Amino acid sequence: MSIIKQNLRGLIQPLIAVVIGLIAGAIAILVVGGSVTETYMEMWKGAFGSFYFLTNTLARSTPIILAGLGVALAFRAGFFNMGADGQMVLGGLSAALTALYFPGPGWVVLLASIIAGIITGGLWSFFAGWLDAKFGMNLLITTLLLNYIATLFAGYMVAYPFMDKTGSAAMAQSEMIEQSVWLPKLFQGMGLHAGFIIAIVAAVLLHFFMKKTTMGYEIRMLGSNPLFASYGGVRRGRMMMIAMLVSGGFAGLAGAGEVLGTQYRFLDGSLTSANYAWSGIMATLLANSHPLGTALAAILLSALQTGAMGVERNTDVPLEVASVIQAVLTLFVSARIGYTFWKRRKGKQKNGTTT
Amino acid sequence: MEQLLDAALFSSTLRVVTPILLAALGGALCSRVGLFNVALEGFVLVGAFSGIVGNYLFGNVWLAVLFAVLCVMFFSLIFGYLSINLRANPIVVGISLNFLATGMTTFLLRAIFNVKGAYYDSTMVGLPKWDIPVIKDIPWIGEVISGQSPLVYLAFILMGVLQFYLFKTVSGFRLRSVGENPVAAQSIGIKVRKHQYTAVLACGVLCGLAGAQLSLGQVTMFTEGMTAGRGFIALVATMLGQANPLGVMASSLLFGFMDAFGIRLQGLAIPSHFTNMLPYIVTLIAMFFFKDRSYLQDASKAGGSSR
Amino acid sequence: MLLQMENITKHYGNVTANQAVNFDLGEGEVHALVGENGAGKTTLMRILYGMEQPSSGSVKVKGKVVSFANPASAMASGIGMVHQHFMLFPSFTVAENIVIGREPTAGGVFDRKQAAALVEKLGQQYGMPVDPWAVVSECPMGMQQRVEILKVLYQGADIIILDEPTGALTPLEVKELLANIKSLALQGKSFIIITHKLHEVMEVADRITVLRDGRLTGTLAATDTDAEQLSRLMVGRELVSLEKQQVELGEAVLEVKGLGIRGPKGKGKALLKDIHLQVRGGEVVGIAGISGNGQSELIQAISGLRPVDDGTVQLAGVDIKGMAVRDIREQGLAHIPEDRYLWGAAKDATVLDNGLMGHHHTLQRKGLVKGKEARAKVSEWIRQFGIKAGSLDNKIQNLSGGNLQKLIAAREFAHDSHFIIAAEPTRGVDIGAMETIHTELIRKRDAGVGVLLVSSELTEILQLSDRIVVMYEGEIAGELSAKDATEEKISLLMSGGNRQA
Repeated sequence: MSIIKQNLRGLIQPLIAVVIGLIAGAIAILVVGGSVTETYMEMWKGAFGSFYFLTNTLARSTPIILAGLGVALAFRAGFFNMGADGQMVLGGLSAALTALYFPGPGWVVLLASIIAGIITGGLWSFFAGWLDAKFGMNLLITTLLLNYIATLFAGYMVAYPFMDKTGSAAMAQSEMIEQSVWLPKLFQGMGLHAGFIIAIVAAVLLHFFMKKTTMGYEIRMLGSNPLFASYGGVRRGRMMMIAMLVSGGFAGLAGAGEVLGTQYRFLDGSLTSANYAWSGIMATLLANSHPLGTALAAILLSALQTGAMGVERNTDVPLEVASVIQAVLTLFVSARIGYTFWKRRKGKQKNGTTT
Repeated sequence: MEQLLDAALFSSTLRVVTPILLAALGGALCSRVGLFNVALEGFVLVGAFSGIVGNYLFGNVWLAVLFAVLCVMFFSLIFGYLSINLRANPIVVGISLNFLATGMTTFLLRAIFNVKGAYYDSTMVGLPKWDIPVIKDIPWIGEVISGQSPLVYLAFILMGVLQFYLFKTVSGFRLRSVGENPVAAQSIGIKVRKHQYTAVLACGVLCGLAGAQLSLGQVTMFTEGMTAGRGFIALVATMLGQANPLGVMASSLLFGFMDAFGIRLQGLAIPSHFTNMLPYIVTLIAMFFFKDRSYLQDASKAGGSSR
Repeated sequence: MLLQMENITKHYGNVTANQAVNFDLGEGEVHALVGENGAGKTTLMRILYGMEQPSSGSVKVKGKVVSFANPASAMASGIGMVHQHFMLFPSFTVAENIVIGREPTAGGVFDRKQAAALVEKLGQQYGMPVDPWAVVSECPMGMQQRVEILKVLYQGADIIILDEPTGALTPLEVKELLANIKSLALQGKSFIIITHKLHEVMEVADRITVLRDGRLTGTLAATDTDAEQLSRLMVGRELVSLEKQQVELGEAVLEVKGLGIRGPKGKGKALLKDIHLQVRGGEVVGIAGISGNGQSELIQAISGLRPVDDGTVQLAGVDIKGMAVRDIREQGLAHIPEDRYLWGAAKDATVLDNGLMGHHHTLQRKGLVKGKEARAKVSEWIRQFGIKAGSLDNKIQNLSGGNLQKLIAAREFAHDSHFIIAAEPTRGVDIGAMETIHTELIRKRDAGVGVLLVSSELTEILQLSDRIVVMYEGEIAGELSAKDATEEKISLLMSGGNRQA
């Protein structure tokens, strides 16, 4: 009973935020002289209007869900992991390279590529966790800086050593991955691929993990009061590295899924410019780091984005209206989430990371 | 090597360091009142964009700078309201405001100029280059220092002004007391919120100037996300400089130099990917060597303000 | 009368903190306000200082009715308050801390030289010399207390409220403070002292007002009363002394030899130096000392929360130095931490989650928490200790301090351990909770468990301990058996008295 009540209470907050976000969007639409109702109708159609659009929305949500889950885990443990972007890019890159060069039958290569993506993303994130645990370098800042380094490095890899020289277009991208290694599509002719199933399963698993397992319990307590956790026998440094490793693993999986399920190659900038990772962080903030909520919020944000594409196709309102709605939404929710976060930190811990 | 380290390099260092320095000074002020401002990135981005809009609207670069300053001040009020009045966690608010800055600028870029990605207008006049009478004739120094945009000089003057304000004046003394121990400050009748708002608004002014230098200083243009992490680098500069204007200047200069040096290295056969990485790597290395957490401790102390 | 508070009543929701309290103060008088924790002393003074508004009643200063919306307006009427937790700026100098708010200027610039001169003069005038250029964080507590009083004097206060002024001071510093208060009173300043230390009250106060459960139970002249009468008025009944059985001492459960922790970065003063300590099964060893003399470090070193530089620590015969907290706990350590909010609980987690900590390794199967058993266990504690917790899914921040402390104690008592650390087990809890926790500690002792009690309350130490170890500046200053121990002897050791003598 109380569990249902708690979950319901968890839902009310995001719902109010959505309404506020839509009002902000309405103002933006009016600013550019569009019709609010027409625009939102088009947005709805663009996101859920047909089976094609629905699957399109879900396909877009896949990397957002996964990246968001990773961030949610880190947030729950009390670490501001802002590095999902870089972790995702490196995950995608190594998945692509593994898919291209790993020998064996298709499904083996596919599995290997996914694992490579998870490990690379995880290690990159682990590196930031290690820098903090070992040298006291603020995690929030290092993860942000590491994003730029990761993106530039991945860009170099496909612009020089692994550049696709077969095609005529001189783009910074890897070669095309063989079809046998692709993540299967769920429906003929639709964008939605098996990665979405993985993402949903991951969300359920993470929810279960956080709620029911002893390690999940330790992570929650660590995020809630690190001194209390260490008093109770939780090894903070170890937990931090595990949490960051897994957190980055989710982001790496997100990148791998995009490469293996949608793009079939690593194209420089395609993962970052779509803002999957940042949308994932927004989803996490919206859902207060609740895994299932994060998945739901990710689908919502993705619907806003695909919906906005529909708006752009059919009206004069630019698709960027979606980013205004998202940002206002997040800001509104953050004011309250922040409040609880803040109270949590009334002790003597530091912000950003906690010792 | 000599060619690499010529006067033009130092001259461009001063140019690229200016946005970082201005933003870092803003961050320092916020830190002095116990607010950890992660939103510097977003502040500067809004400043850069509104600078271009101001220039477009008024056709006057000075009004454009003023417009940028006012817009960022308004934007910084959101930060102030949420983290001071609603007591939301400044970090989460900062992250969200960065989203808002990105979202608004891309949207308005479309809405106002009807372009995607970048706006450039060759007829738009940017900030002038000022020659400084006597100094410009001194051989090497003149080349480095003279002929910069007025905002470059203003940044360094403001650094001095802030140093004086924080450590010599009564008002600056009280402002520091707010960050040092807000409960104690409150107990002797110092208006904690007033000082926090003052700092946040001043941070808005500084970031507005930083943004204007970015979009109007060199080439007159705006591109999406053109701050490219400079706000975060400024944040590190604030930390390394221990929220002390002189120290902040020193660390900003280091990052600015690396930024300029990276651009210079592109002339050699090194891929731009690596030269572009330079400032971020140097920032990381700097964090490794000068890990001082007192800044963060200061920032979190405000959390204990309600007993 | 300089100050009159009449019929002050203050409600917080349906809790009554003050009920029709009368209080007055004459010029040059020292008036002590005594009572148990939660008796409403602090509330009354917060009302006087403008930090709270009374629900009803009036305040008159020099016969005129006043109403203070905030501390600034109270200050303007000549009322100053020195809080229990000092309101100082640690990195500022003494002079800066005193003049802040009314800084002397020269040409628009903060004139620090003049400030220092003013502060120096002020100190001399009131017989409390200070070094104006010293940085406050480097001053001893007694000096910080002095800075606080000078700050209030600088602001022009005639009525000075001192909230638990001696809590963090050494006995020597206390003596000095009380002498200062007397001499200031002779110069016409009036004092209200909030405290629960009766011998200090008897030494310095002219009159004493006693509060109990928010009501006035008496205002007496110091010459007409004594500590016993006051304590009856405070508690409202005779204190029951705990009954302790004679217990056969068991094996040593804790054996600390030559324990040392060096100062930060290996430099500076050692935090702990050459500590030898033994706790055997069936005894309570009390650690007395002014807080900040190494007790926290000792507890943290034993429980594995802080690395040890020198010496050995054995728990039930096993060397636990350098072991992880969890392994030490599994070796048989239970631990009631010294600060329940800092160490003992996660505020925004549920009662269940807070109760689970430390038990989550036993209440699990293949990495999954056994939810039902955990709930049953925590519910059982709640029933057994009479904890008012609402439901198990209630957030811990909704519990009162006493109830949370009982939950933490129950959680730790539930471990089947040979050894338990009880650090400040009853700080700031009501008498009921205190009795529950004390009784349970003694029951554990009687069952053959070794108890290390760390407390800055001498009465608690004297009441529970079989042996008393006194710490001073990170070292053991002396050891006394319960029979020989008196408050005076311990106080002397606490202030390092035996070494200077």
